[in-house]
Amino acid sequence: MALRQIRIYGDEKLAKACRPVQFVSPRTKLLIRDMLDTMYEANGVGLAAPQVGILKQIVVIDIGDAEGEDAEPGIGCGDGPLVMINPEILETSGEQTGQEGCLSLPGQAGMVTRPEYVKVKAFDEDMKEFEVEGRGLLARAICHECDHLQGIMYVEKVEGDLFEVTDEEEE
Amino acid sequence: MTKPVNIREICLGMLMEITEEEAYSHVVLRETLEKYQYLEKRDRAFITRVVEGTLEHMIQIDYIIEQFSNVPVYNMKPLIRNLLRMSVYQLKYMDSVPDSAVCNEAVRLAQKRGFYNLKGFVNGVLRNTARRLSQVRYPDPQREPMRYLSVKYSFPIWMINKWMTQFGYETTEIMCRDSHVTRGTIVRCNLAKASKEEIIQELTAQNITVKQHPYLDYALEISDYNYIGAVSAFRKGWIQVQDISSMLVAEIAAPNWGDYCIDVCAAPGGKSLHIADKLMGSGYVEARDISERKVQMMQENIERTEAINIRAMRMDATVMDEESRGKADIVLADVPCSGLGVIRKKQDIKYKMSEKQQQDIIRLQRRILQNVQNYVRPGGTLIYSTCTVGADENQYNMKWFLENFPFHLESIDSYICDELKSRTTAGGYIQLLPGVHQSDGFFIARLGRN
Repeated sequence: MALRQIRIYGDEKLAKACRPVQFVSPRTKLLIRDMLDTMYEANGVGLAAPQVGILKQIVVIDIGDAEGEDAEPGIGCGDGPLVMINPEILETSGEQTGQEGCLSLPGQAGMVTRPEYVKVKAFDEDMKEFEVEGRGLLARAICHECDHLQGIMYVEKVEGDLFEVTDEEEE
Repeated sequence: MTKPVNIREICLGMLMEITEEEAYSHVVLRETLEKYQYLEKRDRAFITRVVEGTLEHMIQIDYIIEQFSNVPVYNMKPLIRNLLRMSVYQLKYMDSVPDSAVCNEAVRLAQKRGFYNLKGFVNGVLRNTARRLSQVRYPDPQREPMRYLSVKYSFPIWMINKWMTQFGYETTEIMCRDSHVTRGTIVRCNLAKASKEEIIQELTAQNITVKQHPYLDYALEISDYNYIGAVSAFRKGWIQVQDISSMLVAEIAAPNWGDYCIDVCAAPGGKSLHIADKLMGSGYVEARDISERKVQMMQENIERTEAINIRAMRMDATVMDEESRGKADIVLADVPCSGLGVIRKKQDIKYKMSEKQQQDIIRLQRRILQNVQNYVRPGGTLIYSTCTVGADENQYNMKWFLENFPFHLESIDSYICDELKSRTTAGGYIQLLPGVHQSDGFFIARLGRN
């Protein structure tokens, strides 16, 4: 397991658009492993490559058993992580407004409105194309991470002020 | 992206603190809501409702759980026990939450908190409860009246037993039922700062519902507001939140112009401020309590109401203060008590109190009385009060006191409204019962020094 350093808001890499991935090299695979390790270690539910300083269109998501009455088990929620290369949002509908936070801005959160449903097209680690749908928290995470690939942080979409949040203690 | 907070996990953590670690529900609730200030109003309301509701109905909920579980509640892992409790509360009392969501969330939480092997158990108990809740058979009121009251109103058997012996079945049921009734907040108009009419106007301008309380002219019942700190009449110091029973203390103490009054267990200071108000700026009220935190709390209240003839100070009511011997015209001894008269406001009292603890409290009450009676000047008045019901801490203490110290009871009839007058009030004391009277459960005795 290798952890990478998470870039903090203000870092120029976080404000840049990322390049599409042409082919998956062993280095790319290693990057994906490291991103997953880093995300789990930071107790996050999603991470985009620019957050570890790599300007490639790669995101990893695992909302795990996090809250969401509407989260049906599937890839990305409880049944292993969702790894997306060159993701492209095809369809969105509905609206949800709720609290959102980012590993690149620790200890803070804000209210963000996102679509309630998204359908996304992406490539997996073997560069096979697939589609995935998400609702609720998964939809939010997909939008949040895809934004990173455009150099967009959620703070640009936040309604009202950011606020301090305390980490929930876990036993 | 970071993991969002799980509000059900917050609820569970709070219940663990309250039921397994002896923390007080109102403290835990206040601290948690402060910590999660950023949560949406809807989430904050959910947390409050689930935690308070689960505690309010806990004995009944445990009874229901045991209809569907082979393991008795007291044998379960604490975390599982509380997870089931809050889930059954949602199933029975919150129609807005779908049953499937309750079950799924509970199973997820069990897993998340390391009880993977108990997922099936949690799921089974909750799905059975959801399906067969309406078929649960409760104890029969004729055959097992005590158990019936205990399960229906979630009161411990020992308390029911005690009350039934003293007050009879019907009154016991009235008191238990009353603890589940939601009412407005009772406030006292601080007439030194504004007239009642001005206060009512100020409140109604904020769309607050105002009702006159029948026992005292300057007492109002207010409802339909979110948070007392945002009520302008409160911020201006025009009203003080205080139950009617506690206001009766100052009425019955009936201070005269220029009196020196010592309130020996004064926090949060409502009664002291009331007396100071009645003294119209004359005399002097010393509001004492045991901890710095309590003194601080009183200090804030004094500043808000801008009373000038009152001072908060730290002093232990069980330790003799020679300076005060024979000095006070009035001593208020509103002693620490079991609190069985205010269960409606603090639901966990009924589970935390035990007969043994009550014995310890009685010893403390007597030590305080024994000490502070010294402060009353000859001809002066001692007011003994508690916010509990039952003879042990009230009538028996009073009787013990009269047998051991040079005091006599004085009629309180001239200080109270007709509705409250009875044989005991002519004799010098009153026991208010929740539901029977329109107040908290409370006891007040007026004792004159010979």
